[in-house]
Amino acid sequence: MVLLAMPFSVIYSLNQIIKNNTPESIQPISMQTFTSMMNEILNPSTPKSTVSSIFKTLIHSLLHSPESHHSQILKLIADLSSHHPSLAQLALDSLQSMLPQLTDPPSQLTIEYLDALVNISERPMEVDDSLFTSICLAASFPVRLWMVRNSGCRVMVRPELLYPVLMGMTKEPYPCLREEALEALVRLGECAVFEEVSLVKGCYERGVQLLSDNEDCVRISAVRVVSLCSVVRDMNMKVRVEVFNGLGKMEIVSKELLMQSLSKRVLVLDQSPTEQFVLLASNVAGALVHGVEDEFFEVRKSVCQSLRTLTVLSVEFAHAALNLLMDVLNDYKVEVRFQALETMHHMAINHCLELQENYMHKFLDVLEDNSSEVRFSARKIVRLMKLRNHLLFKSTMDVLLKNLDSYPQDEADIFSVLSHLGRNHKQFVDLIANEIADEVEASFEGNREFNSARMAALLVLSISAPFLNADVCPIPPVIFSFAATFLSRICCAFSDVMNRDTLLEYLIQKSSSMVQPEVNISNGEGQNPLAKDDVQNVAGNEMIHSEITINNGEGQLPLSKYNVQNVALEMKPPNDVGQHKRPVHDSVVLTYINYILVKLPNIWPKVQSCSANEVLCSLRHWKEELTSLTFDSSAPADASAFALLYLKIIKLVVEVWDHLVRKTEVVSGTVELEDKLEKLDGRAKELMNRFIGFSAEEEISVLELILLTYTLRLCRSEICSRNFIFKRMTIIYLRTESFLKLRSDVASGFVAELGSLIRESSNGGASCSSLAFDNCLKLFSPKRLMIREGIRHRRAELSIPNNCPDYPLPFAPGLTASIPCDITIHNISSNCRAWVRMCINDGFTQHVYLDLQSFEVSGEVRKISYAVPYYRTPELDSFNLKVCIGLESLFENVTPVQAHGGPKCELVLLCEEKIVYLSRVL
Amino acid sequence: MAIETLVLGAGQEVGKSCVVVNINGKRIMFDCGMHMGVSDHRRYPNFSLISPTGDFDTALSCIIITHFHLDHLGALVYFTEVCGFHGPIYMTYPTKALAPLMLEDYRKVMVERHGKEEQFNSDHIAECMKKVIAVDLRQTIQVDKDLQIRAYYAGHVLGAAMFHAKVGDSEMVYTGDYNMTPDRHLGAAQIDRLRLDLLITESTYGTTIRDSKYAREREFLDAVHKCVSAGGKVLIPTFGLGRAQELCILMDDYWERMNLKVPIYFSAGLTKQANVYYKMLINWTSQKIKDSYPANNAFDFKNVCKFERSVLDTPGPCVLFASPGMISGGLSLEVFKRWAPFENTLVALPGYCLPGTVGHVLMSKPPKIELDPNTKIDVRCQVHQLAFSPHTDSKGIMDLIKFLSPKHVILVHGEKPKMVSLKEKIHSEMGIPCYHPANNETVSVPSTVYVKAQASDAFMERCLKPNFKLHKCSSQELSIKTLTDKNIVPELQVINEKAVFIVEDKSKKLKVVHNDEVLVMLGEKKTED
Repeated sequence: MVLLAMPFSVIYSLNQIIKNNTPESIQPISMQTFTSMMNEILNPSTPKSTVSSIFKTLIHSLLHSPESHHSQILKLIADLSSHHPSLAQLALDSLQSMLPQLTDPPSQLTIEYLDALVNISERPMEVDDSLFTSICLAASFPVRLWMVRNSGCRVMVRPELLYPVLMGMTKEPYPCLREEALEALVRLGECAVFEEVSLVKGCYERGVQLLSDNEDCVRISAVRVVSLCSVVRDMNMKVRVEVFNGLGKMEIVSKELLMQSLSKRVLVLDQSPTEQFVLLASNVAGALVHGVEDEFFEVRKSVCQSLRTLTVLSVEFAHAALNLLMDVLNDYKVEVRFQALETMHHMAINHCLELQENYMHKFLDVLEDNSSEVRFSARKIVRLMKLRNHLLFKSTMDVLLKNLDSYPQDEADIFSVLSHLGRNHKQFVDLIANEIADEVEASFEGNREFNSARMAALLVLSISAPFLNADVCPIPPVIFSFAATFLSRICCAFSDVMNRDTLLEYLIQKSSSMVQPEVNISNGEGQNPLAKDDVQNVAGNEMIHSEITINNGEGQLPLSKYNVQNVALEMKPPNDVGQHKRPVHDSVVLTYINYILVKLPNIWPKVQSCSANEVLCSLRHWKEELTSLTFDSSAPADASAFALLYLKIIKLVVEVWDHLVRKTEVVSGTVELEDKLEKLDGRAKELMNRFIGFSAEEEISVLELILLTYTLRLCRSEICSRNFIFKRMTIIYLRTESFLKLRSDVASGFVAELGSLIRESSNGGASCSSLAFDNCLKLFSPKRLMIREGIRHRRAELSIPNNCPDYPLPFAPGLTASIPCDITIHNISSNCRAWVRMCINDGFTQHVYLDLQSFEVSGEVRKISYAVPYYRTPELDSFNLKVCIGLESLFENVTPVQAHGGPKCELVLLCEEKIVYLSRVL
Repeated sequence: MAIETLVLGAGQEVGKSCVVVNINGKRIMFDCGMHMGVSDHRRYPNFSLISPTGDFDTALSCIIITHFHLDHLGALVYFTEVCGFHGPIYMTYPTKALAPLMLEDYRKVMVERHGKEEQFNSDHIAECMKKVIAVDLRQTIQVDKDLQIRAYYAGHVLGAAMFHAKVGDSEMVYTGDYNMTPDRHLGAAQIDRLRLDLLITESTYGTTIRDSKYAREREFLDAVHKCVSAGGKVLIPTFGLGRAQELCILMDDYWERMNLKVPIYFSAGLTKQANVYYKMLINWTSQKIKDSYPANNAFDFKNVCKFERSVLDTPGPCVLFASPGMISGGLSLEVFKRWAPFENTLVALPGYCLPGTVGHVLMSKPPKIELDPNTKIDVRCQVHQLAFSPHTDSKGIMDLIKFLSPKHVILVHGEKPKMVSLKEKIHSEMGIPCYHPANNETVSVPSTVYVKAQASDAFMERCLKPNFKLHKCSSQELSIKTLTDKNIVPELQVINEKAVFIVEDKSKKLKVVHNDEVLVMLGEKKTED
């Protein structure tokens, strides 16, 4: 039956072959049969049995057909095994069994068998000693070549055997065999089997001998073995390129030799050198100088590349090599100039780049290069620069400003460089601050020609200086106001540390010190804990140990002692937070969160003394830091979510504080204030309901914060639902009191005052004046909060598979629609009451109860895939539903929500609302 | 057999390069130069030493000229037209193109300016050039049945070549002048690894080790840039060939890179004519020019403007290349007179200036220069000296010798003390015998002669096989070794086995046989005995 699937010719041949199983009667397989077999093999739908019969035929014919056919048959067998891996082992076994008959003497056929074997097995094949030696000593040159070429990569031989054979091979009469033998020695060396110095030495010596080989290809390989400087003047360009590539791979070179390579004259050394060293030195002399003078740019580029590694080896050498690199900056080839700059950049990252004053001039010229790659690369170095004196700073600045004129297309990059320059050289910016301010002011007032690019650049430089150094700066606040007018143009210059909005806030904050008395932020604790070596973070993605200092009121405390690596301390624009998130060790996260939380009590005096702007800036900054963290496990994520919410509440409190407590004029109208209070209320509820596992201390802090939010609401005299809020507050207060009693703690001034207020007012909050609440508020100060790992975040993940505006779910009006939901809930015990809430645009809400018992439980996580029914499908062609998961808030069931079969208490939402698209089918 | 080298010029001196080499019976004259510093009969090599009878055609197989500089070429017309040599003359294509220009220029200067008696006229030059056979790089020329010559790139100037000559089994190379480091418009010398009996090399800078040219270029460009950005004018007095192009490319690149718009002028004359040749002979220039050639010809300088006399008085910055070098007269002197009194002028002197020229005086930066009793020039301009040399330094010479590893070295074209120290160095560092003959001296070195021998079939067969055997260490040996260093010594050891025996058979012919055969042959002999 199987045979029916095969072309007739194949069937015929196969039959013939199988029937006439005697060697004499065998007909050689024709070309046509080969092709048909090939087709069958390649066709994936060929039945297995056919394949295996082809396989049998092939193996069979190997034994009985003339040798000239073997290579084709072997090729087919190899193809067959690669397409039908189940047969590979069988193929291997069969071929292996045939091998011994072919090895005496080894011939082309042996190699073909071996090649097929290696191809089939797809991994290095082990060859026994006798086979290996017999092949290596074979009379036929291609046979030997195959073995040398494959030894150490596709064919595995004992290194003890391979080494002497290869050494012998390096004396072969055939150049390509010598070449391959050297390459194989390199491979052998790379596998690190050379544990003995004597072996390396032998190899090295042979390499040296072959450096004077007459054949170019042999010399190239010899260079790879020895990496010697003595051939830098070789007449073949490729040899020279290889030399410098080889030099770039060196890991241990003495400083003396490195220095020697920069001087064509043999240097005189202090200690009396050995004869061997003198010879070596004369070989090495000027090797790198010759390299950079080479006619071929490939060689020059290769030299610059090799300097990348070599400069790291010795600082002294790096300084000397810089001289050479400065010369290369004059090269006519862009590739070479670019590579030289890249090398310098690499040196800068490795702290071995020191641009002396005399080099600076030359270097600044490069900034005006007409190749954009070169300019960008040069500017990359400027970003990392720490200039020694004011003059250098000034000339660098001038060149960059000039650059702006000549290459307006580079504006964004130049601004960014200027911002780095400013951040790194605050003291110099301070020196010219007034000068800049005069110029800018004159321009803005129309007294001078208005060069907007130049203005923007000067502003970038000025505003970047106080950025990392929050202390008093001589930059006039008006500069910040001017800068704000260029916001969209200059925000890219700070994109590495803040986004547009943060920049605006920063500018406003700085410029506002114009009207308000300057508040010294540095002796408060709101200092931005940005990485000190921020420069390096910007430099690349290298892991750089950031030293973070956080002022916790007890002096500077380097966080790095908690072994923090790369804690995300850069402010990130929220939209690209995702790309920059970095995983952080759990315990470190907790420490880090606590360091932020601990600072809250310290900023409170400032809230009371009307410096809300500064406080808000710090809060916003901490918030962003927290959002930028990523986590290995859920525990720190939960703690971080808690801290984030806590901060958000504090932030809202601070935002409404001025208006409510200090009774300042509400600028933007009462609606906004009302909104904020509403938001605060929601957040407070969230804090109470969405977190469990508080310690007593944490619980009290939370409760106190919630009491604060209620008090704030009660302060607002217009509020109509006073009684209701007062009632809720009373409940929370009682809870707080009982907690305090339990721990026999003393209530804080705020709580105590509130308590007496509650006790006094017998008939609800209506009787209390808002002034009384004001007095309470004045006593408030956030508790020093240290959170532990126990906090759990109750949350849910909801997904509706296969639904989007293009693929809506079907419904028939009037009939129940089913909405398939994948729900995962975290940290919610089965005795909680969870609901699916579905809202339609007209405001109608439907709740569906979730039976938590029916969820699939694994630890704190519960999962279910559930088709939620929606009953009230409207008479529309299509509609959207907002779906989300909520939890009944049992915590403060003051006024049960009246629902028909719905939740008895208010729902606290556990996830974002998801939109479900439905479309009518009938 | 020996190679005899007769040094007719440039022996222990620089000038009138001329070496006659007798290699296996063939006599070749390498270079035929004149001494520029002498005006009597010593200016030409003493040709009578070649053939007392004056029958040069039979005495010499050919003449090879390495490049067009007069100290390598100047005596050629005299030798062929006046002394009467009719044999072949070989030079590279660019040399053949530029040689008549050089000779004619020289003749004009000598006759028209200095009023000297002319040694040869224009017709002589034309006649002489008819005998020249142009060769290409790496082209093997069969001069006659036995003599084979080949040119290799030498850098130095456009068309300069090293020549390899081979007669029978003897081979030698005459380098002429060469440069091992490339410059902007010419590449570095390039040659194959050859089996040489003799290398005759120049040794102009036998003791100097030159630092990177980049530093010098940088200083030069900085000086020029500073001058023009301050609105000053730059005068570069230079001779038309080589250095002018080099500097011009350097500056054109810099202008391009820095987006400078200051005009560069090239005064007419030889320079312009030479530029035409440079543009055509791209194949003989540096890799840089070859690379950029498809896009634009590097000798079509982008920033070079057409020179007109009016620019001399046009205000504003500019750069002017004016011939002759050394400010010995002509345009360069005229311009110098006009510009020198201004402080913001820069005079850049590329290379050495001979005593007696304004350039030489200028190097000492005097406040005033007295040209003649009536003309005094206030010199307030800045002076920048540039050392660009198209010759290799001593390290380059050593590197070339190391690369070629000849059996003998002869040094020419250098000062005696430098030659002596270089000779010592070559001898001590590489163990190669080295000579530095004075003019008219002859050095004889042995030459290689290969003896033909027949190889036996067995030997040939063995040659195609790997020439080593593996020797399995006996267990006893192994056990001893394992005690000391178990891992190092492989059980197998390589034994080289190309034991070759040369036997002389009955017909007195040499035969190479394998050692296996020797045993058999010895066995046969024994039985015969």
